[in-house]
Amino acid sequence: MIRFDSVSKEYAGRAAVSGFSMSIAPGERVVLVGPSGCGKTTVLRLLAGLTVPTAGRIFIGDRKVSGPGTLIVPPEERNLGFVFQDLALWPHMSVRGNLEFGLKARGTCREERERRIREMLSLVELEHRAGARPGELSGGEQQRVALARALIQRPATLLMDEPLSNLDPELSLRLRADILRLQRDLGFTLLYVTHNREEALALDGKCVSLVWPLFQKKGAIPG
Amino acid sequence: MLRSHALAAIAGLTVLAGCRSLSNEVVVYVSEDQVFSEPVLKDFEKETGIRVKAVFDTEEAKSTGVMNRLIAEKDNPRADVYWANDPIRAELLRQKGIAAAYVSPNAAGIPDHFKDPQGYWTGFSARARLLVVNPAAKAKPASILAYTDPAWKAKSVIANPLFGTTTAQVAALFTVWGDGKAKAFLDSLKRNGVKVSTSNGESADLVASGEFEFALVDSDDGFSRAKQGKAVEIVYPDQQEGGIGCLIVPNAVVPIHGGPNGANAKRLIDYLLSTETERKLAFSDAAQIPLHAGVETPPLVPRIEKLRTMKVSYSDVARKMQEIQPILEKWARE
Amino acid sequence: MNARTILLASAALALAGIGLAPVLVILARSILFEGPAGLSYYQRMWESHRVWTLLGHSAAVSGLTTLLTLAAGLPLGILLGRSDLPLRRVLTALFTIPLLVPPYILAVLWFHILGRQGLAAAWYFGLPGCVLVLWSVFLPVVVLLVMILLKTVNPRLEEAARLTTGWPGVLRGVSIPLIFPGVLLAALLVFLLSFGEFGVPMYLRYGVFPVEAFTQFSAFLDFGAAAAATLPLVMVTFGALALERVFLRDRTYILRPIAAVGGPAEIALGKARWWVFGLAGMLCLVSVVLPFAALLGSVSPASIREALARAGDSLLRSLWYAAAGATLLAVLGFLLGYLIHNRALRFWRSVDSIAVFLFALPSTVIGIGLVAMWNHPATGFVYGTPLILLFGYLAQYAALTSRITVSALAQIPRALEEAAEVAGASWLRRMGSIVTPLAWRGIAGGWMVAYIFCLRDTGISMMVYPPGHDTLPVRIFTLMANGSSELIAALCLLMCAASLVPLLVGGALLLWTRPA
Repeated sequence: MIRFDSVSKEYAGRAAVSGFSMSIAPGERVVLVGPSGCGKTTVLRLLAGLTVPTAGRIFIGDRKVSGPGTLIVPPEERNLGFVFQDLALWPHMSVRGNLEFGLKARGTCREERERRIREMLSLVELEHRAGARPGELSGGEQQRVALARALIQRPATLLMDEPLSNLDPELSLRLRADILRLQRDLGFTLLYVTHNREEALALDGKCVSLVWPLFQKKGAIPG
Repeated sequence: MLRSHALAAIAGLTVLAGCRSLSNEVVVYVSEDQVFSEPVLKDFEKETGIRVKAVFDTEEAKSTGVMNRLIAEKDNPRADVYWANDPIRAELLRQKGIAAAYVSPNAAGIPDHFKDPQGYWTGFSARARLLVVNPAAKAKPASILAYTDPAWKAKSVIANPLFGTTTAQVAALFTVWGDGKAKAFLDSLKRNGVKVSTSNGESADLVASGEFEFALVDSDDGFSRAKQGKAVEIVYPDQQEGGIGCLIVPNAVVPIHGGPNGANAKRLIDYLLSTETERKLAFSDAAQIPLHAGVETPPLVPRIEKLRTMKVSYSDVARKMQEIQPILEKWARE
Repeated sequence: MNARTILLASAALALAGIGLAPVLVILARSILFEGPAGLSYYQRMWESHRVWTLLGHSAAVSGLTTLLTLAAGLPLGILLGRSDLPLRRVLTALFTIPLLVPPYILAVLWFHILGRQGLAAAWYFGLPGCVLVLWSVFLPVVVLLVMILLKTVNPRLEEAARLTTGWPGVLRGVSIPLIFPGVLLAALLVFLLSFGEFGVPMYLRYGVFPVEAFTQFSAFLDFGAAAAATLPLVMVTFGALALERVFLRDRTYILRPIAAVGGPAEIALGKARWWVFGLAGMLCLVSVVLPFAALLGSVSPASIREALARAGDSLLRSLWYAAAGATLLAVLGFLLGYLIHNRALRFWRSVDSIAVFLFALPSTVIGIGLVAMWNHPATGFVYGTPLILLFGYLAQYAALTSRITVSALAQIPRALEEAAEVAGASWLRRMGSIVTPLAWRGIAGGWMVAYIFCLRDTGISMMVYPPGHDTLPVRIFTLMANGSSELIAALCLLMCAASLVPLLVGGALLLWTRPA
């Protein structure tokens, strides 16, 4: 269970998020919709612990993970996966390296690491590209690596920040289907951010519309 | 905007630079410490009204100093006069054709072996190489051979012979004693536990502090410690009958061949070689020994006529210095 | 031939003519005019045992200095640039101070602290002393470069790693590997700067190649020997630069600063905060505070008055020459930087290489070359005037401003210039209205860096300053031989003030006009 409790975030006097409250049940699929600059990315970052709220509290399960101005639980302990808008694949590592990094950091033993990497690569159909650097991959392939990297840790929650915005429609469709399938199979909670209403609809989840910081509405999107 | 300002700056500088000065001046490159030489040059300016433009040097800057400039400028000299603080450099300039000949009337009173016969360089205001001895030392050395005397084993210090006046001293010994004896002397230094310091000044301080009993240093190092009241006694080495005497390292004034202000150069040279200049330098902290006989000196500074001085040909010493360089390097390494 | 080509080509020509030509003149002269005798110098030199010893000493000084500056500079750069260490700005400013004065002044200051006698002195005069002084002088180079490099790492890359590991893991796995090519460049810079340094080893009586090689020149008047002596220096510089080109050029990952939501995160040091602060503070104490406190301690109003009396004229000249030099360097650097960044002419690579080569070359080489080239009756308007000094600065420091310009230009999306081009603006107008205004902060930064280097220059100034026109560093050097320690201390203080005051003004201006 993820809970935002009257969370606000200000950057240099400007409110990016104001009085935001929301609950997400385990395994639920939530889509944050809204135009650019309305604070969707900030919500993700707050949940991930990459930034702290100016006011309000954030809970994961029963644990309070962020309070006003304080980070109580650091990002690496929140059991989250994050697919960034620009993917943020580490250019100096191969695909395998990108996948392996987090596992190594957590001290996973070599056998287990190998197993998971193999599993993930087959899941996103990139076994043949394990040794390539991100710069050598196509847009779609990079997307899938980012997805695999986020999921290899078996997170309870996956955060996705406009992951399909840079892809052509056909690829977009395919990847969307992949994401939905993966969520069904692995059972993680999905928090998905997009500015595209069609995409939001197609994802068929609980839609939360963030239009301006002061305005938030649960339920179906209007119009 | 930046660019136009820059162009204006360049234009301005060029104009300034282009105005060739037709003023009354003389250009002198100086190796003697600025602290001592500048007052003398300023007095010259005051007395003659000739503007002095100087380039100063320092012992430290041997590798980038005025000698480099003089050599590099050989084809189009900018300097009129070179004030060297040892005759070796002056000799080298003569050997390389950078020096010009001029026999100043004031050179007449200077002993012959302190000047070049044709006037390519003339010595004045000298330092002597002498021994500073700690008063507490049981026996007082009278010769530099004390360095090899087992009675003073590990009780003496000498400045690194790879630098400065010590190099000249060693080269002088080579010319006076011959290669064999001089090399043997160097080796004995090692065997006798002589400490090698980084400079004459440090040697003097080590003797004053009592760590060592004597050291061979320049006279100005010795005099300055004595004036400060430190525990040193001055001993002029090898003054006995038949002794080699102490090495004298005079300043040397060198006319530069082809310099821009020939007439003023001569006047400056005459001024530097005057007894009045020698008197000033004797009374200054430089405490240098006048080479003219009969010049007034303060109590510490001796009269040159009273000293037994080492009779060397500075041109031979200059040549020898180049020759023995590998020997010295080898000696310093071991 | 449009304005662009003419201007850029002229800049390149200026670099070649003012900077490279003097060096070539030395080498040519020794071979052509000294004839077979000239070549024999080279042969003799290589056969001499001593040369290898000296080169070994030089390598030891540079190598140790580089290793130690890296060892301290990388962690410090991270701490000062990205963590929540208290008093970060103050510490950064303090660490930068040694860079503002000629290195030999630090050597003198340390000498006053360690004294002449005893174990400390014996240890100081030699390799350890050289390394100590040069380490404190060049540490800020690594620290500042690391701080700048860290700003250019895409924060998303670090955040992605933060989801699975704490900051140590992030730094180790992502940040440091990404900035590593830049760090190696800093290391190379420190190596070359300390290799060519002569003032400090000369003062500490440690035989390194630049010192001894040119002692040969002045002691024995051998132009041929000097030229032969420059050859190893030229070769080492050349070799180091070749290494840079081969290994580092293609390894720079996307390092442009990316304006992202939130920007790079601050590393929270947590409980270790004050403990780490203590460590950094101690380092600062040793490398900066101690020697400069000793400096201030030796200074009295009387000694300052004496210093002004003895060196006031050279101080004013220094300020003027440094400002003029910095301005010329800013202009030339801008043009060269533009040339390199945009690959505007076919030989852009050579231009960059020549500039960096000249920067790394020991100042004595450039000095001798300048004399050899400009000392003719016809060129008296250059040689006998301060212009020769400015030429020396241009030759030696062009790489600084050109490289700074390159990085300033890298932050301007090319699309901005292209949009103006499509709209019909001429190249000159584009430069004036688009590029320069956007890059002016980088240009101003370049001016300040050039100012520092011109002001503290000793090697070139000593070789070519017109009689009666000496600069402050040269005056200090010559007075050092026999001035009282109070006088020297006061002169050093003047030197620091001359460096700092214009910088503080400029820095305040930059901060005040910083975009929100």
